[in-house]
Amino acid sequence: MTAVTGETPLQAPIQGNGLLGQPLDSREDPQLLRGEATYVGDIDLPGTAHMAILGSPVAHAKVLSIDTKAAEQLPGVLKVATAADFTDVMPLPCIWIPGGVESHFPPHPYGLPGSRPVLSGDTVRHVGDPVAVVVAETPRQAAAALAAISVEYEPLPVVTRADEALAEGAPQLHEAVPGNLNAYWTCGDKDRTDAAIAAAEVTVELDLVNQRTINSPIEPRGAVGDYNTATGEYTLYASTQGPHNHRFLLSALVLGIPFNKLRVVAPTVGGSFGTKGYLYPDMPLVLLLSKALGRPVKWVDTRTGLMNSTVQGRDHRQHVTLAGTRDGRITAVRCTSYANLGAYPSTIGPGVATALMGRSISGMYDIDAAFCEVYAAFTNTVSLGAQRGSGRAEAAFLMERLVDRYASEIGMDPAAVRRRNLVPKEKFPYDNGLGWTYDSGDYQLNFDRAIELSGYADMPARKTEARTRGKRLGVGIASYVAICGVGPSTRMSKEGMLGGTWESANIRVHPTGEVTVTVGSASTGQSHGTVFAQVAADELGIDPATVNVYEGDTLKAPYGQGTYGSRSYSMAAPAIALTARKIKSKLVKAGAVFLGVPEDKVVYADGKVFEEGHEDDPEKSKTFAELAMAMWYGWGLPPEIEPALDETTHFDPPDFNYPFGTHVAVVEIDELTGETEVVAYTAVDDAGNIGNPKIVLGQIEGSILHGLGQALMEHAEYDPDGRLVSRDLNHYALPRAIDAPFFTLDKTTTPSPHNPLGAKGAGEIATVPPAAAVVNAVVDALSDLGVQHIDMPVTPEKVWRRLRGESQ
Amino acid sequence: MDLSLNVNGRPEQFSAQPNELLVERLRDGLGLTGTKVGCDTGQCGTCVVRLDGRSVKSCLILTAAAAGSAVTTIEGVTTPGGELTGLQEALREEHGTQCGFCTPGMVMALGELVENTEHREPPTEPEIREWLTGNLCRCTGYHSVVRGVQRACSAARAQVPVEQGTAQPATAAASGQEG
Ligand code: FES
Ligand code: FES
Repeated sequence: MTAVTGETPLQAPIQGNGLLGQPLDSREDPQLLRGEATYVGDIDLPGTAHMAILGSPVAHAKVLSIDTKAAEQLPGVLKVATAADFTDVMPLPCIWIPGGVESHFPPHPYGLPGSRPVLSGDTVRHVGDPVAVVVAETPRQAAAALAAISVEYEPLPVVTRADEALAEGAPQLHEAVPGNLNAYWTCGDKDRTDAAIAAAEVTVELDLVNQRTINSPIEPRGAVGDYNTATGEYTLYASTQGPHNHRFLLSALVLGIPFNKLRVVAPTVGGSFGTKGYLYPDMPLVLLLSKALGRPVKWVDTRTGLMNSTVQGRDHRQHVTLAGTRDGRITAVRCTSYANLGAYPSTIGPGVATALMGRSISGMYDIDAAFCEVYAAFTNTVSLGAQRGSGRAEAAFLMERLVDRYASEIGMDPAAVRRRNLVPKEKFPYDNGLGWTYDSGDYQLNFDRAIELSGYADMPARKTEARTRGKRLGVGIASYVAICGVGPSTRMSKEGMLGGTWESANIRVHPTGEVTVTVGSASTGQSHGTVFAQVAADELGIDPATVNVYEGDTLKAPYGQGTYGSRSYSMAAPAIALTARKIKSKLVKAGAVFLGVPEDKVVYADGKVFEEGHEDDPEKSKTFAELAMAMWYGWGLPPEIEPALDETTHFDPPDFNYPFGTHVAVVEIDELTGETEVVAYTAVDDAGNIGNPKIVLGQIEGSILHGLGQALMEHAEYDPDGRLVSRDLNHYALPRAIDAPFFTLDKTTTPSPHNPLGAKGAGEIATVPPAAAVVNAVVDALSDLGVQHIDMPVTPEKVWRRLRGESQ
Repeated sequence: MDLSLNVNGRPEQFSAQPNELLVERLRDGLGLTGTKVGCDTGQCGTCVVRLDGRSVKSCLILTAAAAGSAVTTIEGVTTPGGELTGLQEALREEHGTQCGFCTPGMVMALGELVENTEHREPPTEPEIREWLTGNLCRCTGYHSVVRGVQRACSAARAQVPVEQGTAQPATAAASGQEG
């Protein structure tokens, strides 16, 4: 492995003297390093009983009978329950319904479409579909009792591919969904695109499989339900990235209990990457069983359980076409995609498979005509959901593959084709014709930086040198634009989102001058406690050490929608900054009273309020701490100024934000073994103004490796009977430390006009291009063999066969 | 069966089922929840502890097989809220942790590597990555962890007295070249 030095220019301060942009150490880290953080599996409430879930061993079947008697007799078993025990519980709602709120499911009692029941009764639709639960004194007793439940299944035919599920005569999953079609969704201008393609000098086409992958946070999911018989209140501790959202969906829409009777607490969450924002049957089950048994009920998933129950990602089969001129001008792009939603629509899965993917397909390019259609279908597989970079990664993959295919067709350098078609700087805000309006960007600057930094010009020489070592060197570029900052609630309603997507923050200034910030989002490893303190301290001009941050507990935090789609820094942080501004303007008003000068002569700067021009005169200035105490006392305030400092903001941005970037992968393929090694990787991302570059650096590095995982090894593979072959980490490959050298990273900075911090999403954006960059590099390395495409994951066997002239 | 273990310097006596896993004893029996369970198959390394000094995956060892041994868990590495070790400090400086679920297992596995390099050449980057292959992390991409280990190894070596440091074979070879 050739190791490129781990450059970390992202760690340099970017905004001058302010606190924002400084690489402050994560204050969460020491606790994590000492193993002291409490994850859901570490919660041990007195009297806890343990739940285990029986999942179906077959992918599609009628359930003829379930006999639980033997299990009930086993030692330690407290309760065995089946669907019959939960007939008054509503199904788990799907709240992102592409194209509007009409549903193919029977109407939900609250007018929302229902989806999966908490336990399946008559029919099971995927391996792992839960049919029964056991609660016992110990986890081992609960697990052992599952084996004693006998279920009689009558197998039904199975389908695991979206395109096959839509074919004539395919097995039917839901009576209410004839033909298994959840949604046919389109965006862009079909006629214009078809015409442009018909008239084009050059067209290229590809059939692509964006394989199903499993996010695999290292902590499996878990939930603890605790019903308080005295108050009638339920508490759910769960590995969730959206505690408020889960509270709303579970209380009002599933359990049918008042919103204020449910508290949801997210303890430390061990990674999510999208998967822990969904409603799962275990959440209502632990609450209902806690009530039934009068004790806390705890469930912690196994890895195999996670793989058969937690939402999976990607999974599109696509036919894509690009049209252009002989001299490299792209004129149209078109995509027909078959998206596999799995057996049930997950909380927001249908939206991920449609809008998030389709509206992004034209990437960084200024293209006159674009069109995307998605057939979203049900199959006998685990439900589809978000996966780090979801939708946007699938879109970038198809477009960036197409651009390379086009470049090779017209005999132009792929970098030159890209550069020629980038949306020019002066065209922002740019309407991409597919539904997104890009906020800001300097794509040329970003692109050129990546090309230069990667040493692109030296690649021919490196290829020749690699040949002397029995290696084929390939280089692949991938550029992307990623919609982030979800989002404008009204805009999201037009996408079919049944719920607000704003974010909120509260700042409470204590009498002694310390500050508590509470936010509605919930970290799954993004150091919110560090970064949000930084935001508040920067705005208020105070020491970040005096600021603490709370989140993740619906009893303590203001409402919010959670952490997903790289939104916390461009949604919650602006809410914090705006709240701090409310505090400052109140302090200016109060300062005028305390200092006895007119308000327009009062200035707030560097954590002080003072009379203009008298910053250093102690008689004419008050520190933040002095003001905090004065506001706590409230003496001498006129009636129009309320005592105390406690403000809240709900932030609903005018539009999304659009980070972007360009990545360049260099791979070497071993002629003898077909092994692909990523030998250098350059990424230049633009996430607008960055709050804490040290935190963002970590997220970018992790994101890139995640993307490389999809390119090289990850695949959720089902056998023809619908059994997940890659059911554990022996059968599902995750990237390990040896799978990539240090990355060469840099950034450009184009602030977003859509929030007061100029922030754009950052956390997952670097997962968007790596798969395309690597596959482009592999195809480049094999191009002299006539290889035009290779499906992911690019395993040594696949490459080895291509090296020997076999076709895909 | 009645068994005994020495855990973080404390003798523990208990009775256990023959099929009990060491990780179950530590987490459920002794309440030492710093050791995590991330998989069912010995792949992820979140459960790594030190058994008589060697790092092992505690989900792959029966408590009975560990009987009589000395076990060190993450709780035995520092005191609650106390000072971080050199390795932990280096990982903190490089932000080698995000969600932190893989972190205790990494600290336990890497501790052995860092300690063993105090008296020889620091491990190369490929060696560090090789050592880390038994630990999965989905958040960091490992790079910050690798940088943390590099930092910790240089710091550990800096603390070794000069006489010992110069006695190293690799250093000797280097001086040989100079000569
Ligand atoms: S829990 Fe032991 S290796 Fe995963
Ligand atoms: S920090 Fe999350 S898995 Fe490593």
